[in-house]
Amino acid sequence: MDEILVLLFAAVALIGALGTYLQRDPFNKLIAIGITYGGVLPFIIDRGYLDVAIVVSLIIPISTIIILPLMRRDLRDT
Amino acid sequence: MTPEFILGCIILIIGVIAAGFPREKTYLSRLINLEIPAFGLLLIMLAYDEMLALMTFIAVTAISTFVLMRVIERKEAAR
Amino acid sequence: MIAIYVVAAIAVFAVIRATIERNTGRKLPYVNVMNFAVAGAVVLLLDHPLALAAAAAYFVGSTLEANAVASTYAGGERRG
Repeated sequence: MDEILVLLFAAVALIGALGTYLQRDPFNKLIAIGITYGGVLPFIIDRGYLDVAIVVSLIIPISTIIILPLMRRDLRDT
Repeated sequence: MTPEFILGCIILIIGVIAAGFPREKTYLSRLINLEIPAFGLLLIMLAYDEMLALMTFIAVTAISTFVLMRVIERKEAAR
Repeated sequence: MIAIYVVAAIAVFAVIRATIERNTGRKLPYVNVMNFAVAGAVVLLLDHPLALAAAAAYFVGSTLEANAVASTYAGGERRG
């Protein structure tokens, strides 16, 4: 992984993190969390930890799906 | 100073600010913002080649999200 | 050699486009574009047999996440 790829994937992760902070709607925040996860994963792959990458990419969506029921109730109330 | 370490520190600082001072002061907003410093700490652990710590940290993050979700649900139902 | 740069540039473009989009429903296709691009970059980054499994796991996980968010968004809006 050379400098151009590091810059591009770091840009993806930083845009995702800043977007999570700046958005107000909870759905937009969750989508930005997904973007951050897409930017962080190539760094794990580049270090050679493929088993860690497999575990991370199976657990992070589960923790997003755990948050979703709270949001549906929130939307129904308003 | 690998690029993982620098990027992890930047994301960790953004996440700490986001979890401490969210733009909308609700429990749901804080819970979602709490995922950002998890990614930052993951990158810093990656820079130090701590593989077992990485796996344990990811699993504990998912479990603590589940516990916090139950707590917030209980709190919102009581209100 | 140039393929991975093209794929990473597509990912950055899709992320910028998804971030400046106001409508939540229109954000999700751009996030899907970024998911495809990252899955391709993961395969091209490392020459290892297990990289294929990692890319498949990322693809399955991110598609599941995006579909769950879209399903909750649509269902919640209709019911409310």
